[in-house]
Amino acid sequence: MRNKNHIERHYTKWGYIFIIPFVVVFLIFNFWPLASTFYYAFCYLKHAGNTNPEFLPSIGKPLFKNFTEVFKAKSFYSALQNTFLFFLASTIPEWILAFWLAVMMTDRRMHIKARFIWKLAFFFPKLMSGGILGVSITSTIVGFVANAAGLSAAAMSMNGFGLTEKDMEFVLSVKFIIIVASILLHFGITFIYAVAGITGIPVETFEAAEIDGANRLQTFFKITLPSMRPMLFFITVVSVVDGLGMYDIPSLFGAYDTTRSNLTLMMYMNNQAFQGSYAYDKASAVSLVMLAIYIVAALIVYFLLLRDKDEAKFKKAIRQERRELKRGI
Amino acid sequence: MSTNELTLTAEKKRTIALKITTYVVSILLAMLILSPFILMLYQTFGEEIKMVNGAGDNRYLEIKPRDHIITWKEFKGLFSEGDFIGFKNSMIVTCISTFLNIYFSAITAYAITAYEWKLRAAFEKFIIVAMMVPATVSTIGFVQMCYKYHLINNLIMLIIPALATPMTVFFMRMYLKATFSRDIVESARIDGAGEFRIFNQIILPLMKPAIATQTIFCFVASWSNEWVPRIILIEGESRTLPIMGSYQGSQLLMAIPPLILYLFLSKYIVEGIALGSVKA
Repeated sequence: MRNKNHIERHYTKWGYIFIIPFVVVFLIFNFWPLASTFYYAFCYLKHAGNTNPEFLPSIGKPLFKNFTEVFKAKSFYSALQNTFLFFLASTIPEWILAFWLAVMMTDRRMHIKARFIWKLAFFFPKLMSGGILGVSITSTIVGFVANAAGLSAAAMSMNGFGLTEKDMEFVLSVKFIIIVASILLHFGITFIYAVAGITGIPVETFEAAEIDGANRLQTFFKITLPSMRPMLFFITVVSVVDGLGMYDIPSLFGAYDTTRSNLTLMMYMNNQAFQGSYAYDKASAVSLVMLAIYIVAALIVYFLLLRDKDEAKFKKAIRQERRELKRGI
Repeated sequence: MSTNELTLTAEKKRTIALKITTYVVSILLAMLILSPFILMLYQTFGEEIKMVNGAGDNRYLEIKPRDHIITWKEFKGLFSEGDFIGFKNSMIVTCISTFLNIYFSAITAYAITAYEWKLRAAFEKFIIVAMMVPATVSTIGFVQMCYKYHLINNLIMLIIPALATPMTVFFMRMYLKATFSRDIVESARIDGAGEFRIFNQIILPLMKPAIATQTIFCFVASWSNEWVPRIILIEGESRTLPIMGSYQGSQLLMAIPPLILYLFLSKYIVEGIALGSVKA
């Protein structure tokens, strides 16, 4: 036994060796920029290409000047509002659509054919999402949604279902079009990961549920979702990161919209830093606000999905026991 | 017996109804999603764009359908020189960064799974935290770093950071947790294989499905990335394809590599492996 432990210890050093490249690159290219962004938020740093930050108190200005400027701006609040609206309103239907399709495609009783083609088709927009191509594809989809919304609005008002233009205002707004377009463009990713997660569950589990007389809805909520929890966590993180950092689709409607109906936090940050004003300091403050939002979202996701409650309880019990043992000794 | 048969047929009916709904929804969605691409192909091959001299000194673009099949000369005319420079740059950046991303993520995930070092649990927690904070948050710091050390227009700044992508590491770790077996490693050690060799020759081939999945996602992310390149690649010579090029040619060049890669790798995408049944 002692010998085996010794051998294990001999190999553990490789664990450290293997993570060295990751850690070094992460520290230089992720952590250092993040730390300096933190610092810039408390500095004066304006004008294009300026690399000389001046710490705010050292030039006689209040420490939180950038933050107060950001929080005073009305456009910041509309950006905040829009970001959350776009995120929630697009993620929820997207998830329902993607999971429904994934469950149907993987259902053994239904034998859906040509799964390969569906996967390719749903994933297509993401595959083609770069540059002018992405813009043209996105704008075609946006145009389609806008057309459909407009036509249905016109049909409804002509038919006179008691609907007035005011009721249809939201459907015709830029916001609605952004939401629908982002659902269509993003749901392929969720779909692919969901299919991967569901096919990972052993077939016997589903068979057992079927024999026990569970219907599809019960099977989904009681078996499928709990069994694919790590994948679910991964999908949620992808959705949160992409959804809160939404940039490409809203920015198609122009960087400066006077009604600010398409402004997201990411666009706001971009406008502050790299367009017109070149206020890197203010943009850093916005970045920190975004960081705070991400952290809160991450905590919620972590405690909802990844943390195993029983395991946590078990660990706590072990810790307590150890403490008591120590006290006893 | 008869009631049993009755419920069976009801169940069957419901299944068929669901099946039809699924097909209809999928076909509609697929049509909606694919139509822009078909439109693009039509615009590239079926339409002509000409600069026409109008009244006075005005010039305008005239778009009209071609009356013949596209000739080789016309096809070449779709591309500008910038397209190929952009294509080359994009290829360099994307291929190297995807390789670095996949290889080092796999090795990091392997280090967490196979060895019992002291900070292992803490490091895994750290990966999860880092994964939920996207790099876009620190754009200002990153760009300032580029300005400061004169790395503007340098493709290295797009390649190296891809080496440390927590999201890929998490995915690989999830996969390894489900499939890794210590016995293989131990028997290889007895045969006298070094740790690097074990990883390269035994573990990497085992991770094929996870690697295929992540390769597609990383390739596409890097290929279509324009958030950072737009800011730090200013000179034409160093620009990547998404931020330069003519209208029609660059669309075609943009579309082809991800599509080919997807067609090659899609059959390896994670499926049917006990991925979800393990706790993270």
